[in-house]
Amino acid sequence: MKSGFILKAVMHNLKHRKGAFLISVFAIACAFTFLSAVGSVTFGLAASAVNSALKFPLIVGPEGSSDTQLVMSTIFAVDKPAGKFKWDILEELKKDKRVVKAFPLCRADSLKGVPMIGVNNDFLNYVNMGYLDVKEGIDTENIFSETDVFRAVFGYKAAEMFGMKAGTVFTGSHGAVGDESARAHDEEAYTVAAILNPINGPEDFLIYVSTKSVWQIHEAETENLPMDVKTNELSAVLVKTVNPVATSQLEGEYSSRDGCTAVDTGKTIRRVVQYMNKAENIAGLFSYGTLLIVLVMVFVTILMSINERKKEMALMRTLGISRRSISLMVMIETMIITIMGVALGVVVGHFVLLYFKPLIDMNLGINLEPFIFTSIEVQGIFLTLIAGQLLALLGMLRIYRMNLIEEVARD
Amino acid sequence: MNIEVKGVSKSFESPDGSRVDVLKNVGFSLEKGAVLKLNGASGSGKSTLLNIISGLLLPDNGSVTINGTEVNSLKESRRDNFRAENVGYIFQTFNLLSPFNVMENVYAPSAFAGILKPGFKEKAISILQDVGLKGHEKSMPFHLSVGQRQRVAVARVLFTEYPLILADEPTASLDRVSSETVLNSLLKCRDNGSTIIFASHDPLFDGLNPDMIFDLEKGGLL
Repeated sequence: MKSGFILKAVMHNLKHRKGAFLISVFAIACAFTFLSAVGSVTFGLAASAVNSALKFPLIVGPEGSSDTQLVMSTIFAVDKPAGKFKWDILEELKKDKRVVKAFPLCRADSLKGVPMIGVNNDFLNYVNMGYLDVKEGIDTENIFSETDVFRAVFGYKAAEMFGMKAGTVFTGSHGAVGDESARAHDEEAYTVAAILNPINGPEDFLIYVSTKSVWQIHEAETENLPMDVKTNELSAVLVKTVNPVATSQLEGEYSSRDGCTAVDTGKTIRRVVQYMNKAENIAGLFSYGTLLIVLVMVFVTILMSINERKKEMALMRTLGISRRSISLMVMIETMIITIMGVALGVVVGHFVLLYFKPLIDMNLGINLEPFIFTSIEVQGIFLTLIAGQLLALLGMLRIYRMNLIEEVARD
Repeated sequence: MNIEVKGVSKSFESPDGSRVDVLKNVGFSLEKGAVLKLNGASGSGKSTLLNIISGLLLPDNGSVTINGTEVNSLKESRRDNFRAENVGYIFQTFNLLSPFNVMENVYAPSAFAGILKPGFKEKAISILQDVGLKGHEKSMPFHLSVGQRQRVAVARVLFTEYPLILADEPTASLDRVSSETVLNSLLKCRDNGSTIIFASHDPLFDGLNPDMIFDLEKGGLL
């Protein structure tokens, strides 16, 4: 009965001061939403990057590319390639005993901002993503045919985005990043040959076409195209090496060659992840700073609420209700505000991520997992709840130090 | 409930920093069921004395002994319990707890003290009926008039059957009907054996037939 009465008093007070209560909860929730977003996006980027690094330990690209640019433009397709280089390098790599597989890659056109990547059948068979939908009569081992060059394979999310089905016909736009001014390639239409299974990676957001189609479509183009692709030229070669030593050796050899450069994908991604971790730490500090300000605000609200209720608390004391019971009410109020703020922030944060997932995925080339709890978020939950407890204790202390009887005497 | 107030003094610090003696060496004894009226102008220390008797305030000197228990020597939590079980307090205004409805206000002190007995709701309803608040059980304090609120405070005192009732100008802001209800309720308490100490300028309260009158300005029993 006693605890029921305490809870009733708490709920009444929260209801009575619903403006301040809701603002406090909302403020904590906002800070937490930010924290959830930071954690999930960083996690998504790191997971996606590491997964891709395992598939292609070495990337050879045109001279002048920075390590990060080469990885980002080939693995995530989010940066423009630095240029082009000759097909011969691919042939050379294929013959090298330290190379298990080497795949040509042409960054070419795009479809409303979604990159179209020129690859070959070997690539599709190697990444082995499986197909969700295949056009009738198509041999999935040899999707890119010599006779029917203009076939496309859509990543799961890319197909979903454009409502593509096996058999749909479309035309791409000129320009690797598909800006608005890009000219449409109306002269050649692609047919969707297949749609890939979802694989939770950057591949979900890409459109694969044959390298041959890329070369063919640009044969008729005029000189000085803004694109890197011309006949029989490549944007990059993705390489699966026999071991890390081979990767390191090949990186050294191809980096010092004229016309091309090479990067150890793992090493570059580790560096990128380190940067991301630093960025996450900074964003995390910012989030914690915001949370701290918010918690101070909550504390001020609680103190104001205590001051406003001095008289009522004094009456409670005259009725024999102990200081402990009154303090407990304030403590429960603080805890409710903190817990509700954290819970709302976590839920809203993850749903906000779910809502913006397509946008984040497309822009960052990752497959965001909106409902994953990251370490920074779990840390944040614990720290906020502990801070909430401390605030509650400070509120209790305030009650203990208040001379409530003066309020009775003053009446 | 026997009460012995012995040599009680209390002073407060005034805004200019000097000490103001509010009570000086106050003393009297009351037998169980007796009624004491406190006389004195505003600021003469009536409320302070009531607060000291209830254990809300501690005297600078002296003691208050109720049924053999020296209230001012108890720890704060024990004084809270003692008050919850033994002392019913009625103020001039602001007697009700806003989070609770009328009926809950009647049994809230007992609920917080953990001394509710079976059938408490029926008892609360019956008492509310006696003080003319039938049908108001679920009303919140802000729905009531000043007189009705004071009746709830009286109902609370009747409900707990406090052995000691302290009333500080309980009818100062009430109409005649409400004042009579309060008086009748206190008479009922007196008949049930409660000791009553009250401060009131309302002539109606002479109907309580105080056994003693203590004049705080003169510092002694009249």
